[in-house]
Amino acid sequence: MSDVVLVVLVALITYASRLSFMLRPRPAPGGALGRFLDVFPLALFMAIAATGLAAPNGSPEISPALAAALGGVLGAVVFRRNLWGVLVVGASFYYLTRTLTG
Amino acid sequence: MLENSSFRQGIRDSALIILAVAFFGTAYGVLALSAGFSPWLTIFSSVVIVSGAAQFAMVGLLPAGPVAVLVAAVGLGLRHVPMSAALAGIIGPRPLGTRLRLSFVLVDETFGLTVRAANSGVEDLVAYKTAADLMLYSSFVGGTIVGAWFGGAIDPQVVGIGVLFPLLFLGIAAPMIRTRRDWIVVGLTVATSLVAASILPPAWQITTAAIAASIGGMAVGE
Repeated sequence: MSDVVLVVLVALITYASRLSFMLRPRPAPGGALGRFLDVFPLALFMAIAATGLAAPNGSPEISPALAAALGGVLGAVVFRRNLWGVLVVGASFYYLTRTLTG
Repeated sequence: MLENSSFRQGIRDSALIILAVAFFGTAYGVLALSAGFSPWLTIFSSVVIVSGAAQFAMVGLLPAGPVAVLVAAVGLGLRHVPMSAALAGIIGPRPLGTRLRLSFVLVDETFGLTVRAANSGVEDLVAYKTAADLMLYSSFVGGTIVGAWFGGAIDPQVVGIGVLFPLLFLGIAAPMIRTRRDWIVVGLTVATSLVAASILPPAWQITTAAIAASIGGMAVGE
């Protein structure tokens, strides 16, 4: 699949999700699908974060990215789960660790 | 439009966030270029997708293959579903063209501003959100153009810009953790991610970990 097609597909998926209720208001799905949809976004975001920070090169390793994870969690606690708190403290821990470990 | 006080208020309220959005656009431009996108494709992707999270996921997961990218796009899109339902309720019945337009830039920032505007009694919410959308869209695409223009001169590995990608998702996930079940899902996801990263090829790690943790989380009550 070419990169252009991939970009167009991601754009279509994103737009479709934004249109989902704006196009025709209706009740949200229930049952097992509803429960899955309730938890899947959080699981997906955490999986992307955990994999990227604990296994940045494809398998678990000790790296400055782990310090970024620690800083990100600390930033979330100190700045009441503010996105910028997570980013700034996490990135600061990352750069500090990189500097200290050469 | 500029005579409309709600439109002007939308511009004022969103002025605070455009620098942050432009920064993300620039970081995305640099990363997309380093992932192998041409400058034009990098800019085109911001013009048509307008989702920092989906675009960071796309370039970050590019080495894992298109299936991983598309699964991530669907998962990230699920976040928009409740926002879409809430916005439909807030703006009420509108012509199709208006709903199509307002949906295109349905992102955390403009959604949050519009909800706050609705609660504070702004008269014309369509004009308000249109202004916020225009501000956000122009700053995100503008930031991407800057990143795509100068990205070739920056080595993301040396600068360490790649760490922003997983941190961004940690930051997006943090406010979603509210109940005991959410904490269990987080714990399960970290565990399944580490196991998946140890035994699975990169293309399947994130999707498998997220699905396994979701199935585990479904079994837990609120």
